[in-house]
Amino acid sequence: MRANSSERRDPKQQLAALATSLALVAAVTGVVFAVRSFAPVLSLGVLYLLAVVPVAVLFGLAWAITISIVSMLTFNFFFLAPVHTLELRDSANWFALAVYLVTAVVVSELATRLRRRASEAAERELEAKLLASVATTLLEADHVQNRLKDVSAQVADAFRLADAHIELGSLRSAEPGERAVDLRLGDSFVGRLYFPAAEELPAVAEERTLPALASILAVAVERERLSRAALDAEALRRSDTIKTAVLRAVSHDLRSPLTAIRAAGEGLERADLQLDHEARGELVETITGEAARLERLVTNLLDLSRLEAGAASPRPELWTADDLIGGALETLGAAAARVIVRLPDEPVATVVDGAQAERVLVNLLENAAKFSSADETIDVGASVEAGELLMRVRDRGPGIPPRQAGRIFDAFESSSRGTGMGLGLAIATGFAQANGGRVWFEPADGGGAVFVFALPAARLPAKVRS
Amino acid sequence: MTSARVLVVDDEPQILRALRTTLRGAGYDVATAATAEDALAEAAAHPPDAVILDLVLPDGHGADVGRELRRWSAAPILVLSAVGDEQEKIAALDAGADDYVTKPFSMDELLARLRAVLRRASPTTDPVIAIGDLVVDLEKRAVTLGGQPVTLTPHEFELLRFLAQNEGKLLTHPMILREVWGPRYGSESHYLHVYVSQLRRKIEDDPARPRYLLTEPGAGYRLVDPLLTRS
Repeated sequence: MRANSSERRDPKQQLAALATSLALVAAVTGVVFAVRSFAPVLSLGVLYLLAVVPVAVLFGLAWAITISIVSMLTFNFFFLAPVHTLELRDSANWFALAVYLVTAVVVSELATRLRRRASEAAERELEAKLLASVATTLLEADHVQNRLKDVSAQVADAFRLADAHIELGSLRSAEPGERAVDLRLGDSFVGRLYFPAAEELPAVAEERTLPALASILAVAVERERLSRAALDAEALRRSDTIKTAVLRAVSHDLRSPLTAIRAAGEGLERADLQLDHEARGELVETITGEAARLERLVTNLLDLSRLEAGAASPRPELWTADDLIGGALETLGAAAARVIVRLPDEPVATVVDGAQAERVLVNLLENAAKFSSADETIDVGASVEAGELLMRVRDRGPGIPPRQAGRIFDAFESSSRGTGMGLGLAIATGFAQANGGRVWFEPADGGGAVFVFALPAARLPAKVRS
Repeated sequence: MTSARVLVVDDEPQILRALRTTLRGAGYDVATAATAEDALAEAAAHPPDAVILDLVLPDGHGADVGRELRRWSAAPILVLSAVGDEQEKIAALDAGADDYVTKPFSMDELLARLRAVLRRASPTTDPVIAIGDLVVDLEKRAVTLGGQPVTLTPHEFELLRFLAQNEGKLLTHPMILREVWGPRYGSESHYLHVYVSQLRRKIEDDPARPRYLLTEPGAGYRLVDPLLTRS
């Protein structure tokens, strides 16, 4: 896109123009000398256009006019009487030379114009290519800032600069050895383009290419701002819904154990009550039992708020299904006695945050325990199917009506079947997804519910087994 | 035997009160401190037999108190940590703490851990270690379970040996990796959990309900005598 580089005052270029021009004039003079016996000499002057036109195309109008005059004088000197002088005897020759000069100038002008058009077309093509590639780069970017380096490289390439970088919204002035050009869209400032001070931007860059570049950047920045605003609004709406639901749930589910603890504690404290050993034991049991229930609720609420805030970032490690299921049974407490575990002969493994995966299993197991009677067993199995480690939790309760099945994973979806805030399954799904896994529900053959926790299976090298 | 002296360090007065009452009831001689500074001063004035240490203190980090104590005291340190403090828990264990319980903890669990850290002697030098039905012969590199020989791979044996020599003690992943795979862990060290699962299949009746080789979530493993734990 370096349009007028050939017209710049480059000494090397000037020397080449001079040499080429003189060589062409000399060559044409030779030709005229050779053919002057076959045609009237005066008519051969037009041959000098063969020297003028290439010079016009290659080196521009100024050189073409110079060469027109030089060639006219040469023709006069060598071929018009009196020869070997710059004088003219015949007035008709004056007229011929004048016609030649005018023709030469007009032809030169036309040739230069043609040349400029061609180079302008090439420039526009490069410019269009640059803007298209910048637009594509920015469209693919999730974050404009991350792609500025690529865009700067494309600009440097198109403008043939050794180095260029764009800073969005930057008012930093150029450092020594550096130049800065503003990128503006109308009156608004978009950023600055910095490049080495020794280099030049193409003539059209500032008036045409840079404003176009600025508008593309401005659109990309705006698009990013809008999508972030939309995300924020969505997060806000969700967190609002959650807060309302939490408040509703807290008022009931947190108050009832507190009430029980307080009543039992005050009962124990009062001296005027006639409490035998058994009654005291019952009150104490109420306090410890309800405290444990409160603890589970608080843990669930904390987990959920961490998930909602996106703060539950997993720390993945290689774990076996044995370890995850074993850990979950440990946490489950008394209900673990009802659980029958079936493990494959060889350990199967997955890469997951151990504590979070365990949380998923505990919540599925608690759910199974809650929705089946205490004398029924709960089955847990692990298997690898199609590259996934599947851990299935099966209860022998009444199952879930199809109408409800789609909603059971929503937070605070109170089940008609029991108590609790319905947080467990929402948290299980949240932690599963945070670890690249899934949780789904299947009706069990012969009644009951099966919840499946799927995680990508890990491959174990043979040497670990040896 | 005179009662063991336990220093409890926590800045929550309610927790301090509950622990003091219960520990005294269990026969311990209890001293308390609410700050890191008080804790170090108290420990220096009346050296305790064991320290129960909260990780979050108003004037410093519990792990730093543990590290400072370790410079001049061999008394076992039991750390109290909240859920979500996994990193700090590990840091405290690496700084010299012996074990931890997670808040909210049950009193039974705390008392059991305290008994265990007080009972634990320095790593045994006896070449034959018996833990419940499990017998590890370090000289012959042989393992039996209830009299039946158990075949282990070299890594599985090293793992079991290290755990057995530190019976009851919580061993963190870095400790195990350093000991079994050496200071520059081998590439198989990622598979520690898999080695443990394989070892369990050989020494446990029900690998999903281990009785000997227990997982401490987010921290490490410990080998216990099934008859001595679960008070």
